[in-house]
Amino acid sequence: MSKNKKEIEEIESELKNTENNEILSQDSEKIIKIYEKKLSNYDEKLQRALADYQNLERRTQVEISQRVFSKTNDLLLNFINIYEDFIRAENSLSKDKINTDGIQAVIKNMENLLAENNIKPIDAVGEIFDPQIHEAVSMVEDNSLDDGTITQEVSKGYISGKAILKPSKVIVSKK
Amino acid sequence: MAEKIIGIDLGTSNSAASVMQGGKPTLIPAAEGTTVAGKAFPSVVAFSKDGELLVGEPARRQAVTNPDNTIREAKRKMGEDFLYKLQGKEYKPQQISAFILQKIKRDAEAFTGDTINKAVITVPAYFNDNQRQATKDAGTIAGLEVVRIINEPTAASLAFGLDKSKEDMKILVFDFGGGTLDVTIMEMGGGVFEVMSTSGDTKLGGADMDQAIIDYVIDEFRKKEGIDLSNDSTAVARIKEGAEKAKIELSTVMETDVNLPFIAQDSSGAKNLEVKITRAKLDDLVNPIVQRCKSSIEKALEDAKISTSDITKIVLIGGPTRMPIVKKFVSDTVGKEAESGVDPMEAVAFGAAVQAGIIAGDVTSDIVLLDVTPLTLGIETLGGVREPIIERNTTIPTSKDKTFTTAADSQTAVTINVVQGERPMVADNVSLGSFNLTDIPPAPRGVPQINVKFDIDANGILNVTAKDMGTGKDAKITIQSTTKMSDDEIKKMQEDAENFAEEDKKKKESVDIKNEAESFIYTTEKLVNQDLKDKIPQEKGIQITDSIKELKDSLSQDSEQIKQKLEALKTIVNEVTTELYKNASPPPGEQQSSDSNQQQSSDSNQQQSSDSNQQQSSDSNQQQSSDSNQQQSDPNSEQKSENTSS
Repeated sequence: MSKNKKEIEEIESELKNTENNEILSQDSEKIIKIYEKKLSNYDEKLQRALADYQNLERRTQVEISQRVFSKTNDLLLNFINIYEDFIRAENSLSKDKINTDGIQAVIKNMENLLAENNIKPIDAVGEIFDPQIHEAVSMVEDNSLDDGTITQEVSKGYISGKAILKPSKVIVSKK
Repeated sequence: MAEKIIGIDLGTSNSAASVMQGGKPTLIPAAEGTTVAGKAFPSVVAFSKDGELLVGEPARRQAVTNPDNTIREAKRKMGEDFLYKLQGKEYKPQQISAFILQKIKRDAEAFTGDTINKAVITVPAYFNDNQRQATKDAGTIAGLEVVRIINEPTAASLAFGLDKSKEDMKILVFDFGGGTLDVTIMEMGGGVFEVMSTSGDTKLGGADMDQAIIDYVIDEFRKKEGIDLSNDSTAVARIKEGAEKAKIELSTVMETDVNLPFIAQDSSGAKNLEVKITRAKLDDLVNPIVQRCKSSIEKALEDAKISTSDITKIVLIGGPTRMPIVKKFVSDTVGKEAESGVDPMEAVAFGAAVQAGIIAGDVTSDIVLLDVTPLTLGIETLGGVREPIIERNTTIPTSKDKTFTTAADSQTAVTINVVQGERPMVADNVSLGSFNLTDIPPAPRGVPQINVKFDIDANGILNVTAKDMGTGKDAKITIQSTTKMSDDEIKKMQEDAENFAEEDKKKKESVDIKNEAESFIYTTEKLVNQDLKDKIPQEKGIQITDSIKELKDSLSQDSEQIKQKLEALKTIVNEVTTELYKNASPPPGEQQSSDSNQQQSSDSNQQQSSDSNQQQSSDSNQQQSSDSNQQQSDPNSEQKSENTSS
């Protein structure tokens, strides 16, 4: 940048000298050249400013979408905790032979909301353990199952599109 | 565009990387997404039973199922002659760290869209030469040229912008991580950070605090309901999440609830866990752990021979330092408020990125930031005495030499044993390697002159050379320390690492195409069943539904099959949508791309600044070297050097 500034200063002083010498008409070609240089400097500056602006714009877009995604996921994770409490409530009330039709309808609405946001629960029990989506909390010996089969789901996992909202916490079998 | 250099915080428990974007450091998110450690990821490496390499979150998640093939805290073994055995194959700690660095390289490339070949990596201030060299080797194995290794507390101070201060200052860096505590006292003046002392506790960290809260919640429930939840893994998992949330909330509010309905069931029905935790209670629970940090601060001050009143700045690093009680403890102990404005979990990675930015020329700084050698380097002389050549806290890069002689008549060879440490006897220091210098012409003792030169580059990496002044013959010396690896060894490990990268790439491609297919099915189903339900002709609708079914069936097959079916579905959907939009207004006029201009101009921008930077630093290097040369007239001719060469 400072190099450009110096160059412009040199050109300007040269131009001034030229004027002072009153040989303007003879040196018109020289003047054109000087202005061409000046123009090319400004052009470069403009291109650089445009490039900076485009970069900023692109980066801002990415940052905004990342922030929205992260905030939405935080909110949905909190919502999922409450949704799971409803499921627990429904299970508990059913055991006590209490009518849970209303709660079931609420749960269904909640599940629709999750589905609309492309959030799916991760399959766990009976599946083979996959560290990409499951987190093992402990192991149990079980000769009747294939090694690495999930025997119990300690906490449910969810995926949001490609991203893992939270992995399932599971207990895994070993022979 | 000028080449991007990333900054890496290669941590014991978690690692993170950062890159300069728009003049400020930005954390590079781990590909697997945000975790409990934020955008950082656990420094865990594992090989699954099928020999698949896992790094970060997936490695941590499978640790209990595969403890023998899972490595945690490889950083503690860096620089040691140690081998890990995974799935029958042996790995050096450098290789394990290289797997972590390779993942960072991949994540950084995905994030920036550029190829990343260079990095600045941070290490603890107390790391010796072997450990630094091992860290550099790990970078090389991972395909990263390590342009600088800097101390973690120096990086954190950079992140807080302390290098911009014109005043000389003494900084106390309190690094309280998940499982370790490091206290460093540094002196900063004239753009140079000098380590005055370090101390810490390798078995103290935030994990102890989380456990204290969990134990309290379980205990409260036992008192109220008479039920012990500690053996109920589902309940414990829920309590752990609740306790973590409460801990975070209590940094901003004075009181919160851990509210977990239907946590247990007994004959009287469902039981709900509801425990109120106040900030005072939390402080009470974690205070014993916080108080254990006091001795480390005192030891650091004692070693630096200063008192708390000499400290001018406090820098906090690590997640637990976000807690008000920890902040208060440090400021009460030292008698000053800590610096604020940078997330303590991101400070080290940010500082590494700032340093990387200075080297790349993205960051203009009047200050030429120099680091210092953490420990004294010397050689063994007669009687097992350590003769210092480069004193600790010497600004690097530097070069110093001393002249030695023989101890016996007609001695034709000497052994040079390079040692590092502060103790006067060789046996109490760490030996970095030893070498022989041979073919010295026979002469009476004390006559031959052997010049030993120590060179430390900007990364703190040491090279030793020796010269027999009598014959004028140059003897080139290569340090063969126990952990330094030969170029061939590194090359082989690079190839191994690249093989894994290739496998990973294929696997990623297959996962990507599956994800793309699933996502396209989802959007298409939504399009057909909701958004464009009444606008699609029936026969096209059937065609799309059939095609979706085919794609769904292909999801369990290989990626080539999925790709074909996905393309087929895309073609049909495109046909339908094109038809629908046929009468819509034409797209806006051609957009001129200025990409090429952009690239050109930023190229020249960065080139220019990087040039000026280089000049600055090499100027200062020269000054340094000539200074040090002048100091070398202190002769030690009475000493015998047991020394080296090859």
